[in-house]
Amino acid sequence: MSYGSISREAHEALAIAMNRLGAKSNTGEGGEDPARFETLPNGDSLKSAIKQVASGRFGVTSEYLVSAREIQIKMAQGAKPGEGGQLPGHKVYPWIAKVRHSTPGVGLISPPPHHDIYSIEDLAELIHDLKNANPDARISVKLVSEVGVGTIAAGVAKAHADVILISGHDGGTGASPLSSIKHAGLPWELGIAETNQVLLMNDLRSRVVVEVDGQMKTGRDVVIGALLGAEEFGFSTAPLVTLGCVMMRACHLNTCPVGIATQDPELRKRFNGDPQSVVNFMTYVAQEAREYMAQLGFRTFEEMVGHSERLEMRRAVDHWKAHNLDFSRILFQPQLPKTTLRTCQIGQEHKLEMSLDSTTLIPLCEPALARGERVEAELPIRNVNRVVGTTLGSAVTRRYGGAGLPEDTISLRFRGTAGQSFGAFIPKGVTLTLEGDANDYLGKGLSGGKIVLFPPRESTFVAEDNVITGNVAFYGATSGEAYIRGIAGERFCVRNSGVNAVVEGVGDHGCEYMTGGRVVVIGKTGRNFAAGMSGGVAYVLDESGEGGAAGGGFERVCNKEMVQLFPLSDPEEVAEIRRLLERHVEYTASPRAKALLDEWHTTVSRFIRVVPNDYRRVMEAQARMREKGLSQDEAEMAAFDENVLDARRVAGN
Amino acid sequence: MGKPTGFMEFGREPAHVRPPLERVKDWAETHPGYEEKTLREQGARCMDCGTPYCHTGALVNGLAMGCPIHNLIPEWNDLVYRGQWREALIRLQKTNNFPEFTGRVCPAPCEGSCTLGINQPAVTIKTIENEIIERGFLEGWVVPEPPLARTGMKVAVVGSGPAGLSAAAQLNKAGHEVTVYERDDRIGGLLVYGIPNMKLDKSVVERRVKLLEAEGIHFVTGTAVGRDVEAEQLIKDFDAVVLATGSTIPRDLNVEGRELTGVHYAMDFLVANTKALLGQSATHLSAAGKNVIVIGGGDTGTDCVGTAIRQGAKSVVQLEILPKPPDTRAGDNPWPQWPKVYKLDYGQEEAAALWGADPRRYLLNTKRLIGEAGAVTTIETVEIEWIHTPGGRPEMRECPGTEKSLPADLVLIAMGFVGPEPALPTAFGCKLDHRGNIVHDDDFMTTTPGVFSAGDCSRGQSLVVWAINEGRLAARAVDRYLMFGESVLPDY
Repeated sequence: MSYGSISREAHEALAIAMNRLGAKSNTGEGGEDPARFETLPNGDSLKSAIKQVASGRFGVTSEYLVSAREIQIKMAQGAKPGEGGQLPGHKVYPWIAKVRHSTPGVGLISPPPHHDIYSIEDLAELIHDLKNANPDARISVKLVSEVGVGTIAAGVAKAHADVILISGHDGGTGASPLSSIKHAGLPWELGIAETNQVLLMNDLRSRVVVEVDGQMKTGRDVVIGALLGAEEFGFSTAPLVTLGCVMMRACHLNTCPVGIATQDPELRKRFNGDPQSVVNFMTYVAQEAREYMAQLGFRTFEEMVGHSERLEMRRAVDHWKAHNLDFSRILFQPQLPKTTLRTCQIGQEHKLEMSLDSTTLIPLCEPALARGERVEAELPIRNVNRVVGTTLGSAVTRRYGGAGLPEDTISLRFRGTAGQSFGAFIPKGVTLTLEGDANDYLGKGLSGGKIVLFPPRESTFVAEDNVITGNVAFYGATSGEAYIRGIAGERFCVRNSGVNAVVEGVGDHGCEYMTGGRVVVIGKTGRNFAAGMSGGVAYVLDESGEGGAAGGGFERVCNKEMVQLFPLSDPEEVAEIRRLLERHVEYTASPRAKALLDEWHTTVSRFIRVVPNDYRRVMEAQARMREKGLSQDEAEMAAFDENVLDARRVAGN
Repeated sequence: MGKPTGFMEFGREPAHVRPPLERVKDWAETHPGYEEKTLREQGARCMDCGTPYCHTGALVNGLAMGCPIHNLIPEWNDLVYRGQWREALIRLQKTNNFPEFTGRVCPAPCEGSCTLGINQPAVTIKTIENEIIERGFLEGWVVPEPPLARTGMKVAVVGSGPAGLSAAAQLNKAGHEVTVYERDDRIGGLLVYGIPNMKLDKSVVERRVKLLEAEGIHFVTGTAVGRDVEAEQLIKDFDAVVLATGSTIPRDLNVEGRELTGVHYAMDFLVANTKALLGQSATHLSAAGKNVIVIGGGDTGTDCVGTAIRQGAKSVVQLEILPKPPDTRAGDNPWPQWPKVYKLDYGQEEAAALWGADPRRYLLNTKRLIGEAGAVTTIETVEIEWIHTPGGRPEMRECPGTEKSLPADLVLIAMGFVGPEPALPTAFGCKLDHRGNIVHDDDFMTTTPGVFSAGDCSRGQSLVVWAINEGRLAARAVDRYLMFGESVLPDY
């Protein structure tokens, strides 16, 4: 449950309790305020040990990842598998928007899929990316209990996840759609049994920790989970009940009367939970689990894991639905060689030590890391060099925090073809220039750094007519700059929440679900541009006069469900776009941008502003409030209040 | 419910009552009305909890948690918010035969377990309930609904208090021919004579009794079973008998001076007063000009305070043996349990308005009563403390040297009731338990086949709403008994 779905008070109370217990609390997908990373004077910590990375990638910055002890990739949610999520606009208060890098009052959509995961290889890549972004953190993958989850888990284990979480259907807040709460998902018992069996049969169980969650409440649940094959357990609803949750099922309405599933400042004052209650509850659960273990004759928890033969079906359940139940497949014990290990005992080989960052970049940038001195270098790059710059970036963040280093402190120039995830999650102060081309996931999760990409000087093709980088560039990027001379692949800047990017053409689904930042496209766009976009602005050069977008002009390929198209007229904005194009020329020597600048007068009239409706309304309200003399914070709050009741609000409702 | 933010927008509207000094001048129950808007706002405060407790009706530590008759509170709150009063009335009548009684006299355990009550004043459930039924009467929506068909079975109900009446109402609904026997001159039992008029106007009881009569129930007043009619006769004449005689033996005060004149049971005092008020001849026990001592801090004690004030008492002091409850819930009394907190009920409020202070004195026990010429003049009290031993019942200990005397011309004993009068159940051959209550099985049948019991006579002194609950459940049991194991009546 994320900060956003539940209040700061509740989220922090859970974090304090888990840190007191030596357990791990989970951020959920809503990001985390960096202020929580500091330890409190009394020794308590508000920091969540598990940082979740979900499809929305809200607030997934370098700092967020570096502060994690475990990074969890949420593939789906047990309560609503395959559905994604949404935070309605009336819950996106200014302080939530800040952590999520979005706009107060504008609803947020967590898309059902991760746009950088379309296959198990893509997931392997994301696991590798995140491991590079924080080599000290375990990478966990959250799957949902379903038929066939064992096969998926085996794939995930082979994709080098450290932890696999199987999530049952009963969990989550009451905010899931009622139809999903009632009808979607399967119990965790089925998923964990299948997962454990498949992992054992493929001798993969020894490499991954298996965790289970989904309405765990008692020591008995823990013991059954362990006997079916889990080593770790997730709780949420029950601890929230100890903090005062009365299961109002108003979690989606922002009217939680006990200040848990709400962001309303008045209702949050009613929160009356004490972290110590959670500590007590969890201690009782552990005590009960010990009692069951003693009855079963297990000395250690590890001994117990996977011994499903110690479970038996209750025969005395007198219900007609129980008559045809057969648990033999759930309790099945595969025939295994004696050498097969039943718990996680062998770490995954992430091969981080072989990366370009570890072998070359970090030693090279030591002056910058240690003393903040400028480092410039030119290096060759090949497509086997994946995730270049990310571990370096994490080292920068570890030392200099979220603020990073001054612009261009580390400036590395590469020549050649970059592998996947070039420049992923790099923080401020790191500039990567690539002369050549890039694979998929360029600048994924860009976190303040700068990426420049242009074709080799000696190349003879026309840059703006050729694809220079693969799909899903700048997915989930939170801040930074990007200048790309050439066309980017599909899904460019999906879920961008703060990057300013210039590109000379994009494939399909550009700027989907974008919530912030600016994207300037001085070329053709594919179809479904700006689908689900709820923030930020895209400036697209209308190519209709040149027969672009199959003759129908930009308007035909743009998905106008949530956006409106405007001409570019505001002088401030015009100047801003001009500045971006000038930098583009400066960095990439783009002849196309130069031509546009040369005819600036006509160029301006050819730009189309793509602005999300909700975003525009909130921004206008904020500007109006500022004119009244309110400070930025006050203006945000006033605009939020005004927008809450606006029936026109569409995103994430 | 219909308005998710209602509880954030509107506060709890305090019950509309006349100012204490004005209302003590008469015996009327009249209160200033509510505006439609106010009521709808109050209904909007209901939060449509995912897990509501207001209608659970469970016993926790011997106290009711939520409505014992499982009123569909969130539903009719929402309907009131939407202004659909008639639908609200239909939902209310589904579970409650006599909302006009509970809407006036119930201590509202529903409000004690209202989720909003965790950190805010609870929803005004009791007021809304009363307004729904009163609106129903006003609009003419409450009409006699006799059963469409009769079963030919005859049932006698002995006692016409809330348990007897609800059992009779339900049994009549099921098509049985019901005769209610009442030894007093009016139907209603404790509703008529136990509860004073300013709390429950007697015309309200009469209005309901007329409705029940119109639905086909026979009422026989002034007829004590066992005296005017033999128990055997009832068993012979009827297919089933329901005993609902209440818990009527008052707990006595065994101290020196108990025999002095001017020392009375609270019920004798209250009954005499109501009878006088209704214009029947009775020995009128007046508190006028007297120093009144009420022993006991319960609802009956409060009724004595209010009645004595209206009669013109010189002073009223109420003695309570327990400590003063805390202003907010104690740690061992969490929501949704019945809140054991300090409350200023109507009688105490009136005393406070007259004399400046709550008339209750806590942790006081009666040492003895002193009289002159056979009439009580003084009560001697002693302070006590409660000794709590883990696992054991708390024990009372007197604090030596804390004896005090108070002037007392009229002493009213309101220390509760110990059980039913044994003569009647004995006449029916029913077994009594060690407390003197009638023993019945899970189907409300006593040890005599065909004879059932419901309400305080078998569960011990309790709330009106529990009596209604038992009457309803006993009616279902009787219906099943008569109709070969099937019942058309609901199991709530």
